[in-house]
Amino acid sequence: MTTADDIFDQSQNNIQRLGLKEIPFTESPIDLESETLQRIFTGREAELRQVFNQFQSRERRRILVYGRIGIGKSAFLLEVLSVLRRKRPKMLTTYISLPANLDLATTALLAVAKEMDDDDWAQRYLYQLGIPTSKILKERSSEISASMGLGAKTSEKDLQPVTSQYPTVSLDILLERAQKKYPDGVVIAIDDLDKRNPSEVRQMMHDAQGMLKGDAWFMLTGHPMGITGDLLTSERGLFDLQLKLDELDQPTTYKMLINYLSSARIDNDCTDQGNPRCVLPFTPESAATFCRVSLGKPRLFNRLGNTVLSKAADLEVDLITPEILHEGLKAAAPTLRQQAALSVQEERVRALLMKRGEISDETITFEDLEALGVRSFSDILPLLERLEEADLAHQLDQEDVKAFAPIPLPSSEETEST
Amino acid sequence: MAKGFGTPQSIPTRDATKFMVAFAKCYFQSKGDQDTVREFLASNLTKLDESLLEALPMIFYKLLKNPIFNSKENISAFFIAFGSSIYIFPLGSRKLNLEISITACQVALRSLQRNQFPSEWAAGQTILANGYSDRIQGDRADNIEKAIAAYELALQVHTSDLFPTEWAEIQNNLGLTYSDRIRENRADNIEKAIAAHKLALQVYIRDVFPTEWASAQNGLGNAYLNRIRGDRADNIEKAIAAHELALQVYVHDISQEKWASAQNGLGNTYIDRIRGDRSENIEKAILAYQLALKVHTRDEFPTQWAGIQNNLALAYSDRTLGDRQENIEQTIKAYELSLQIYKSKSFPEHWARVQHNIANTYRDRVQGELTSNLDTAIEIYQQVEQVFTREALPYQWARNQGDWAEALIKQAALTDRNRSLDTAVDMLKGALEVAVPGSPDFIDSQYRLGTALSRRFEQNQDPQDLQQALKAYKTALDAISPEHYDRAKIWQALPTTQSVLGSRLVREGEWQEGLQLLLNSVRLLREGDDPLAHANALYQTARAHETLSDWDNSRLYYRDALRLYDHLKDESGIAKSRHGLGSVLVSQGYLAKGMGELQKALNLYQQIHRPDKVAEVESLLQTVQQAEQHMQKVAV
Repeated sequence: MTTADDIFDQSQNNIQRLGLKEIPFTESPIDLESETLQRIFTGREAELRQVFNQFQSRERRRILVYGRIGIGKSAFLLEVLSVLRRKRPKMLTTYISLPANLDLATTALLAVAKEMDDDDWAQRYLYQLGIPTSKILKERSSEISASMGLGAKTSEKDLQPVTSQYPTVSLDILLERAQKKYPDGVVIAIDDLDKRNPSEVRQMMHDAQGMLKGDAWFMLTGHPMGITGDLLTSERGLFDLQLKLDELDQPTTYKMLINYLSSARIDNDCTDQGNPRCVLPFTPESAATFCRVSLGKPRLFNRLGNTVLSKAADLEVDLITPEILHEGLKAAAPTLRQQAALSVQEERVRALLMKRGEISDETITFEDLEALGVRSFSDILPLLERLEEADLAHQLDQEDVKAFAPIPLPSSEETEST
Repeated sequence: MAKGFGTPQSIPTRDATKFMVAFAKCYFQSKGDQDTVREFLASNLTKLDESLLEALPMIFYKLLKNPIFNSKENISAFFIAFGSSIYIFPLGSRKLNLEISITACQVALRSLQRNQFPSEWAAGQTILANGYSDRIQGDRADNIEKAIAAYELALQVHTSDLFPTEWAEIQNNLGLTYSDRIRENRADNIEKAIAAHKLALQVYIRDVFPTEWASAQNGLGNAYLNRIRGDRADNIEKAIAAHELALQVYVHDISQEKWASAQNGLGNTYIDRIRGDRSENIEKAILAYQLALKVHTRDEFPTQWAGIQNNLALAYSDRTLGDRQENIEQTIKAYELSLQIYKSKSFPEHWARVQHNIANTYRDRVQGELTSNLDTAIEIYQQVEQVFTREALPYQWARNQGDWAEALIKQAALTDRNRSLDTAVDMLKGALEVAVPGSPDFIDSQYRLGTALSRRFEQNQDPQDLQQALKAYKTALDAISPEHYDRAKIWQALPTTQSVLGSRLVREGEWQEGLQLLLNSVRLLREGDDPLAHANALYQTARAHETLSDWDNSRLYYRDALRLYDHLKDESGIAKSRHGLGSVLVSQGYLAKGMGELQKALNLYQQIHRPDKVAEVESLLQTVQQAEQHMQKVAV
């Protein structure tokens, strides 16, 4: 009878049979060690060049990185920060994902305070927000006992939390203090603005104008639909650089696969594209197919990679041939659907997408919309975006229409051909 | 018939005294049997005249010499009985009958000592109160206050423990009076009415006092129909339930009159009913009124008959089943019948109410010349205002103002008369000072105010008007019952106004707020029953995005608007959407595609004869073609 320990061992063996220490694919880049990110981050040379050019300036710059969900904005941000940490040790780099219900200024303040362990004010501020700090802060108060004349008592009591009423001003003060220690400046990277409602984002940007013109470098990530033309214009707008991240092309995706796999392979760190070993446990053919199916979208790439490797491990193979890949991809569709936990309406839209093969604001008919119980494409756009977020659909790269198509995964109902 | 109440120089009392003596004999011999008394009065109709009224005080003293009566207290009791009989007598001049009843009671009470004959005194106060409660002459508000005061006095003697049935009767009548009360807070008055009827029902147990129980149920039904607090739909259901309970007792053969009253009450609730199928409710109302008319005939109960005719007319005017033309004919016929009894001098308030309803019918009439219909309606509203003055009858005045304002709004739409809208706005604001917040009249006035202001905005472009219109619509929407069939109409007006205001704000540079309003309006309208309003809002949103140079969203919304307009076969909408879409595509550099849309827009504008738009698109196309040629040259 197999014990749990045995099952664990088996599971580990199966991955090792594929020549890997672990499955290198992750849902989010945040989980990665900086070194690992450095190994696997691929492509985006032109974009990196544009960003690093900004950092050659004396002036503080504001950079907006935007693009579709799962395109690699967070990874890009983290890669930039990791390079800056290596190249500019006297620059403070901070990263934070936008918390719910917080404005940009307070978020920025949090990001900087977290990195300033030695600064009393910063630590006090975090404490007041209920964020754990290394020191327990006490307030010193003193009482002078009148009857005792010269006698005095000193007591301490815990600080009561107080929210900052003027986060922008507080941020300015904190930055001033930070710059004493970090003369090359402070970089504040705020991620995940695209997780918030576009009109909220618009308002937040509007309210944060003061902060954004302040004494720090800012890097923000956002969603293209949430930013109106007004904000994207550098003359009137807030950003010195608006960088759009698109899907990676096939060669770059292939290179990325090489990097991912080599970071996890046990005894083979071959990255030479000419050598078929560089994509082991994939064959070159299955590697190319895999890259094509993942459409140059890093998160989809990671999700599919996870499923394919897990399936290969379950099948106890040591090589991912096109047939094994096919099985892995077949398993991916239901997994993605399950993970997505679609609502009834989202499911209906997905079904229509599968039926039509492609849906766009130009070609969708009124009858199709009526069948979904709506009257306009803009009503189903959030649902399509949700499908995109769940990697069940992807947006086609057509600038004059808004078009979505299903991810080209084999259907899980397919039977083996004889 | 009474001609007026002038004071003759000498008061001939002999005939009147003879009449009263004869009445006394009849009354005592029949032991106060109401049918016998009614027959007697019917056959002496001509004696119920002004000279009787004037003579009553003198008659009192003359009767002291008459052997039938031993004492002034007896005469007082007799006068009160007389007052009571006249009060319920259905023939002759109601106005005069009520005066006679009131005077008889007043005369009686002067000679009746409360502490010596408390019960008789209290009975006198009750009949007096009944008279005041229905009184036609004099100031209505005053009369009602006098009625309430008299009932309260009666209740000091006829307490619940010593005189339970009398107490219950007074409570019931008090309930009816509170329902009509003009002074003090209306909502409070209705609550008092409901409370009073419920108190009566504590004594009027169905098995023991079936008729009285039914009467209290009827009263309760009326009160619930008028109730302002609580959920309107619920209140109306309670009203129906109460009338139906009354009808279980008021079986047609046994208590015809009361049965007919209950049928009338039931009809009134069905007309206002929110739940259930509207057309079915109207049919039930019509049936109830027709049943009531079988008993309340013109000959026997002319006042009630006239009232029911008025109600029937209202039902026919709302009727959706049957032939529309025929329904209108029935409406007019019923009003005319009503007016045969409700003359302006003898029943001024009732007359005015019917006239008001007729004005509404003209206002809403679609046959004939519309402007002429509206002019007629307005003339009638003006006449009605002579009776329904703000001081005397404020709620009726407010309702008249509101309906009149609606006629003015319609007039403005037909004739472009700005002043009509200004007047309408002022009238509605005035009406809202009086209308009880939360009442149906209040809701109607708020909705109409919103309409008047948004129409006025179309002419003067003053955004303040739109802001106020939005506020008025929101107020109406907050007040109206979620189940009300009119909710949809108001609910649609709100987002439509939002979208107009939104696009206006965007054009003025308040793009955040404007866009937010537009998106709100689209969100609301996409779930509504008015796809055209939805399409318009989509179009406005597209335009707003275009103003903000947000091409992606602009294109998206233009396409959505186009699709919906196309489905609705709205050519103007299709043309302007293609125009917008083409313009945006061209701005983005998709010249061929953009020009394709513009060309289609051009063709359609030509078809629908919009030369201004044709010129606009032609000019744009020319510019684009030039740009294209230039680009081709540069490329070469």
